[in-house]
Amino acid sequence: MSMMKIGGWIKRILVLIFALVYLAPLYIAVVNAVKPYDEIIKSPLTLPKQFTLNNFVEAYQSSNMLELYKNSIVITVSSVALLILLTSMAAYIIARRKGKVYQMLYVFSLAGIMIPPVVTLIPSIKTLSALHLLYTMPGLLLFYAGTYFSTTIFLYVGFIKTIPASLDESAFIDGANPFTTFFRIIFPLIKPCTATAIIFLGMWIWNDFLNPMYILGFRGGKTITTGIYNAIGAYTSMWNLVFANVMLASLPIIILYLCMQKMFMQGLTSGAVKG
Amino acid sequence: MKHNKLYDTLFLAPGFLVYIIFMIIPVIMCFLYSFTNWDGISASFRFIGLKNFVNLFQDASFFQALKVTLIIMVLTTLIYNILGIILAALLNDTGKLLGFSRSAIFIPTVLSAVVVAFIWSYVMQTNGGVINAIIEMFGGTKVDFYATPMTTIFMISGIICWNSLGFFVVIYISTLTTIPQEIYEACKVDGAGWFYRFFHITLPLLAPGITINCILSVAGGLKQYDHVKVITGGGPGGATQTVTLFGVEKAFEYNRRGYSSAAIIILFIIIVIFSIVQLAISKKHEVEY
Repeated sequence: MSMMKIGGWIKRILVLIFALVYLAPLYIAVVNAVKPYDEIIKSPLTLPKQFTLNNFVEAYQSSNMLELYKNSIVITVSSVALLILLTSMAAYIIARRKGKVYQMLYVFSLAGIMIPPVVTLIPSIKTLSALHLLYTMPGLLLFYAGTYFSTTIFLYVGFIKTIPASLDESAFIDGANPFTTFFRIIFPLIKPCTATAIIFLGMWIWNDFLNPMYILGFRGGKTITTGIYNAIGAYTSMWNLVFANVMLASLPIIILYLCMQKMFMQGLTSGAVKG
Repeated sequence: MKHNKLYDTLFLAPGFLVYIIFMIIPVIMCFLYSFTNWDGISASFRFIGLKNFVNLFQDASFFQALKVTLIIMVLTTLIYNILGIILAALLNDTGKLLGFSRSAIFIPTVLSAVVVAFIWSYVMQTNGGVINAIIEMFGGTKVDFYATPMTTIFMISGIICWNSLGFFVVIYISTLTTIPQEIYEACKVDGAGWFYRFFHITLPLLAPGITINCILSVAGGLKQYDHVKVITGGGPGGATQTVTLFGVEKAFEYNRRGYSSAAIIILFIIIVIFSIVQLAISKKHEVEY
C-alpha cells in the first residue's frame, strides 16, 4: 500500500513540474511586462529588479486599449446573444415536431459544421457590401450568426429532446401561446446548454482574428486581436511594450477563466462528449 | 395537439434566413467563383471552366501551401492525441496538486492565437530568445528555429499545440470518467499492471474521445491561419504559407478571387474527405460495454 502511495506522489510531482514548465512562457510574458527594455535584454528570466508600470501606460495609450475592449465586448456579447436567440427558437421547433420535413430541416441545418469559415468569408464580403453592412459591427454579427448556426443548433436540439414534451402540452392546455411556452418554460430549463453555448461561442468569437480583420477592417473598429496585432506590428522588437500589450489583452480573460473554471470545464465537456 | 404553422414559421424563419444568407449561399458562391476569373472589384466576370484548378496544380506555391498545411495537420494531430491521452491518464485522479496542474495546462486554451504567437516569437528568437539563452547557459550552441521552412513549420506546429492542448486533455479526462471503475478493479484483482490496464482497457474504451479529438484536430490543423500569419506572415517568399493564408492573400492582396476560391474549395474537399474517412474508421473501432 505504501509503495502505491509513494508512486502516486511521484506521479503528482512529475505532473506538477510539467504543468509549471508548460506555463513558463506565460511567466516570461508577465515578468518582462514590468521590466524596462534594457533589463529584458540583459536578464529575461529573472524577476524584475526595477519594477515599472510604464510599459502598461505606454501600451495602453498607443494601442487605445479601452476602445479595443469596448469593441470586442460589444461584438462578442451581441453575437452570442443573437446566436442563442435565433438557434434556440429554431431548435425548439425541430426538436419537438415529428415528420420528414423537420428531419430534413435538421440535416440541412447541420451542413455548416464541416465548412471552414474561410469558404464563406470571401463571398460574404460581397454580400455584406451589397447590403451596405461591410466594415460595420452588425455585418460581423450576421456573419457570425451564419457561421456558428450549425454548431449551436446541434447543441440545442440534442438538449431540448431530453426535456419532456408533456410540459409544453400542459402549457398549451392552459392556453399559453408558443412564445410564452418557449420563453417562460423551455428556455429556463435549457440553461445548462445555453451556458455551454456561451462558453464555446464566446471563446471563438472573442479570439477570432481573420474575420474581423477583413469584415470589420480597421475602418469598422479594431477588436482586441486585430488591435494588438496592429499595435505590436508597429514596434516589433520593443519587447517591453509587446508584453505589456499581451498582458493587457489576456489578463481579463485569464481572470475570467480562473473565476469560472468549473463552468468552463463542465461546459466544454458536456458539449463535446455525450454522457 | 395541433400546431400552428404560423408560429412554427416565426420560430424557424429568422435563424434559417441568416443561415441561408451567410452560410449556404456563400458556399455555393465560393463554388461558382472557383470557375470564374473574378477579381473582386469589377462587376463582370467570365466563366473559365476548370482553368483555375489547372493553374493551381501548376502553381508551385500552392503545392508548398498544401504541403505545409498537411504537415501542420499531421504534427498537431499526433501531439494533441498522444500527449493528450498520456496527460489525461495522469491527471484523471483526485487531489489538490493534480487539480492545480489541470487548470494550469488549460490556461493557454483561453488565450487568443495572436497573443500566443507574440509570446512565442520572443521565446524562440535566435538572438536573445529565452530557449537559446537557456541552451547557452548550459554550454550548448544556439539553435536557429527559423533555419529552414521545415524547421519553422515544426516550431509553429509546437506553438499551436501549446495553445490548445488543454482543450483536448479536458475532453480525454471527461471520456476517462465515463469508464466504469469496476473494470479496473476486476483487472487489478487479476494482477494486471498499469501498462497492461492502459493498453487493454483505457485505450479501447477511450475510442469515442479519440474520434472526437481526431476529427477536431484534423479539421483544426487544416484550417490554420492565425499563428502562421503572426509568426512568419507566410514568409520567407511564401515558404511557410498554409492553404488558408494562400487563399486569403490571393483574394485580398492580389485580387484574384476566382483563383483563391478554387484553392479554398480544394481545402474544403480535403476536410470533407478526411472527416468521412475518420467517421468510417471510428465506427469500426468503438467498443460497446
